[in-house]
Amino acid sequence: MIYVFETMGTVVSIEPPLRVPEIEAVFAERNERFSLYLPGSELTQIATGALLLQDASPQILDAYARALEWRSLTAGAFTPHRPDGVIDLSGIVKGMAIEAAGLILADRGGWILNAGGDVLTSGQAATVGIADPFDRTQLLTSVHLGGSRRAVATSGSAERGDHIWGGGGFAQVTVVANDIVTADVLATAIVAGGVETLNASTSAWDIDVLAIDPTGNLFATPGFTASIAGAAALAN
Amino acid sequence: MVLSALASAGVLLLGWELGASAQSAQDTTATTGSTSTDTGTATSGSGSSGSTGSTASGSSTALTDGTFTGSTANTQFGPVQVQVTIASGKITEVKALQLTNYGGRSVQISNYAAPILRSEVLKAQSAKVSTVSGATYTSDGYLSSLQSALDKAKA
Repeated sequence: MIYVFETMGTVVSIEPPLRVPEIEAVFAERNERFSLYLPGSELTQIATGALLLQDASPQILDAYARALEWRSLTAGAFTPHRPDGVIDLSGIVKGMAIEAAGLILADRGGWILNAGGDVLTSGQAATVGIADPFDRTQLLTSVHLGGSRRAVATSGSAERGDHIWGGGGFAQVTVVANDIVTADVLATAIVAGGVETLNASTSAWDIDVLAIDPTGNLFATPGFTASIAGAAALAN
Repeated sequence: MVLSALASAGVLLLGWELGASAQSAQDTTATTGSTSTDTGTATSGSGSSGSTGSTASGSSTALTDGTFTGSTANTQFGPVQVQVTIASGKITEVKALQLTNYGGRSVQISNYAAPILRSEVLKAQSAKVSTVSGATYTSDGYLSSLQSALDKAKA
């Protein structure tokens, strides 16, 4: 059994089906506040100049502060600023929403939460398939999550549009980390920043990474390779 | 980035150990094209803080055998210090003695992402996974996704 609902322009799946009302509210509230697709959202009002940033809610300012911190930590590879200058927090808001949902489910035993391809688990080992960026109907491989390794996030260049990032980055990057915001932000940063950001990130954070360049070449950290082997062992 | 900083620090260290001038060390740096000015200043300016090998003599261009410890170079990621071992005039080992602490974690060079072949990546069967991680799909894209198939199977 699984609990599936649509939010933030994507779909959330929770297994087992923990139908906690607050979970949908966590995503819905953030969507209403941070969406740049909703004309009346607070962030849209900031984008249009109808609302000044200094008058923004604590939620907006908190997310913006966290995004700017990540921008600094990734030497600008992750940024909350669109090329046209608009503040776009979509790169961090979904991760923060998953993080908040995880806190609500903290005492609910073992579960797996998947929000639009980003995965957070708790108290439960899980084998997570990694989608093939060149054929979405296939899995490239799978990794084993368990213990403190709770989060997997995958970003692709198609997600943001190649025209924005240029050809120097990766086609797809998967990051395994202990928390979902780190996994999500760094996956986005490495797609944008390419090899330089990949090497800086694997050196600086406790993460496992699988990156695929536009021609299909794969790059994996030792921990990711070990995790693939762990998943394969469980499947046999 | 850290790797290139280390390599540059190593090159600078060698330049110093060769008894060459700071200028030639900077020339060497320029050829690597990757070091920061911070690294250059720290290493070529102050010399070794703990050289344990024999020192180079005169203007010889051969590398002197021994183990040499570089001074600490301040990079954008924090302090970096390397040790180079030279045997028979060749570099046999470059070891990081001090690595940066960035993002609350000591740097591990061993966490470098290396190329792997597709054949090394065991292809997973969707029937055997709990869930699927992929680039964010839209609500419409979800309908044709593997995750959607998994969700339907578990509904």
